[in-house]
Amino acid sequence: MLIVENVRKVYRVKEKGSWLRQQWKEVEAVSDVSFRMVPGKIIGLLGINGAGKTTTIKMCSTLLSPTSGTITVDGYDAVKEDRFVKAKVNMIAGGERMLYWRLTGRENLHYFGSLYGLHGGALRSRIDSLLLQVGLLDAADTPVERYSKGMKQRLQIARGLINDPSYLFLDEPTLGLDAPIARQLRKHVKELAVAHGKAILLTSHYIHEVEELCDEVYIIDKGKLVAHDTPAQLTQSLNLETALHVVIPALSASLDLDLQKLAVRYGGSREIAETDEHTWEVTLRGQTDMTTPLLSLLAAHQSPVLRLHTQQPSLEDVILHMADRRGA
Amino acid sequence: MFRVAKATFVRNTLVMLRAYPWSFVIGHILSGVYTVLFAYFAYHYVFAGQLDSRFQHLAGTADYLSYAILGGAFYAFAVSTLMNVSRSLITELREGTLEAVLLTPSLRRGYFLGNVAQQVIRTVFEFSIIVLIGALFGLNLVHTHLWSAIAVWILSTGAFFCQALVLGSLMLRFRDTYITQNTLFVIMAFVSGVTFPTPYLPEWLQPLGAIMPLSPALDAFRQCVIQGKPLVAVAPQLLHMAVLSLAYLVIGMWGMRRMEKRVVESIFA
Repeated sequence: MLIVENVRKVYRVKEKGSWLRQQWKEVEAVSDVSFRMVPGKIIGLLGINGAGKTTTIKMCSTLLSPTSGTITVDGYDAVKEDRFVKAKVNMIAGGERMLYWRLTGRENLHYFGSLYGLHGGALRSRIDSLLLQVGLLDAADTPVERYSKGMKQRLQIARGLINDPSYLFLDEPTLGLDAPIARQLRKHVKELAVAHGKAILLTSHYIHEVEELCDEVYIIDKGKLVAHDTPAQLTQSLNLETALHVVIPALSASLDLDLQKLAVRYGGSREIAETDEHTWEVTLRGQTDMTTPLLSLLAAHQSPVLRLHTQQPSLEDVILHMADRRGA
Repeated sequence: MFRVAKATFVRNTLVMLRAYPWSFVIGHILSGVYTVLFAYFAYHYVFAGQLDSRFQHLAGTADYLSYAILGGAFYAFAVSTLMNVSRSLITELREGTLEAVLLTPSLRRGYFLGNVAQQVIRTVFEFSIIVLIGALFGLNLVHTHLWSAIAVWILSTGAFFCQALVLGSLMLRFRDTYITQNTLFVIMAFVSGVTFPTPYLPEWLQPLGAIMPLSPALDAFRQCVIQGKPLVAVAPQLLHMAVLSLAYLVIGMWGMRRMEKRVVESIFA
């Protein structure tokens, strides 16, 4: 198990100043963060830019040392026994970094495998199996500079798995990828947790990705963990509004008034907009589901319903809600 | 450690064969060749083959052409070693692979050993060409004590490697390669006895030459090649080189560890 306990990270950042008289200030990037990573589970780390997600991942992967607090991986301290920890973890970042472009895919994996102490037949068969797993066997001997963005990202996944890590950190792994490739990658990540028992920590700006993949989500804001639950529980716990959209062919003054009364009765709000097809879209927002009374009201006014759909609050709404609070 | 060294050696060789800018190799050879030509023209047309009496006393030989040509060739060898090793980590940083390397539990010693082993092949090639061209312009190799010269060459590689660690730390500190390395190289060329014996320098400048491994390395190499002296005869120079190597190694390893951490922190701060 990977245990993060009361971890804090302070950076010294250069402020204005000349070469001779430089001024420094301390910035607390992560403050008193604690969580656990368990085999077979994917946890998500969400937050707004500058929230401390990447710093947290870099500390867990031993690239950065915490200013205070402890990170242990299967009992090994991530700072004092970092070589043991490095053997058990790996990180995959979005973008096209962390690969040697002038080497082929196979040569890249061979080099990184060697840095993890793998060699001989064991390394060769591991490389073949990973290349097959990420669908790059045919391009294995092509230099990486000729790979597409998606191929580079798949090779990054293979690199991240070369040491068969028990703990895997994915920092924006689908950044800039086309939708079909991103979907394929998400499927692969899910398999790694479910079928191979990896503990995975994921950060992503694509919130639907986190909703789809993560068993638990931690929300981090200004370096502090502000919420932790399953994606479904998080959206429910904040009592965010459900939006009910209905499209009708005509809107009389009396129906407009009754819709307003309905919204007020349920403690919500209503918006009306004329669509391009000269119909009317009514949106009722509220913490209570107003579908049944709305349909009764429309029936009473003998108004046909052209379209109706309910929009439940998403994890994205939770983040936006928190961002609004932060800005307030 | 040796597996990491081997893997890094193979990786660098592959990259070099596929994409190494030949202008680098040619540039290093040319700077050595220019020194050869400069020595040749200066000796024949400026000095008219006449040297003052102090030169033989200070250089231990009256053969100025061999003295200067070996200086140029050895200087090119020192510059190549320093440059290729010291730039290794900052190149990883610029190419976006530093994090991937630092994530692994591999020992940095193995990584650097692989880098230095690979660049030895390059410098042997460059050095041989400069010496061959030098032979056409008057380099006298008749008295060479071959095994001693080879031993000094190998020990010098170690000394330049240790100095490269310090240079590499400074490059990471200032995130610069061009100004840092070229400042060092210009100073080295001037104070280490490349084209004239260091006692010609003002006294206050001579200690700077004494802290450059190139000075004792070049002195020992010249004695083995020009005067045909055995390794035992150049023991004081080898000791000087060993002390400098140790000092540079300690400072370099400490600096590299510190700078790696600093670089990673500065990326995310």
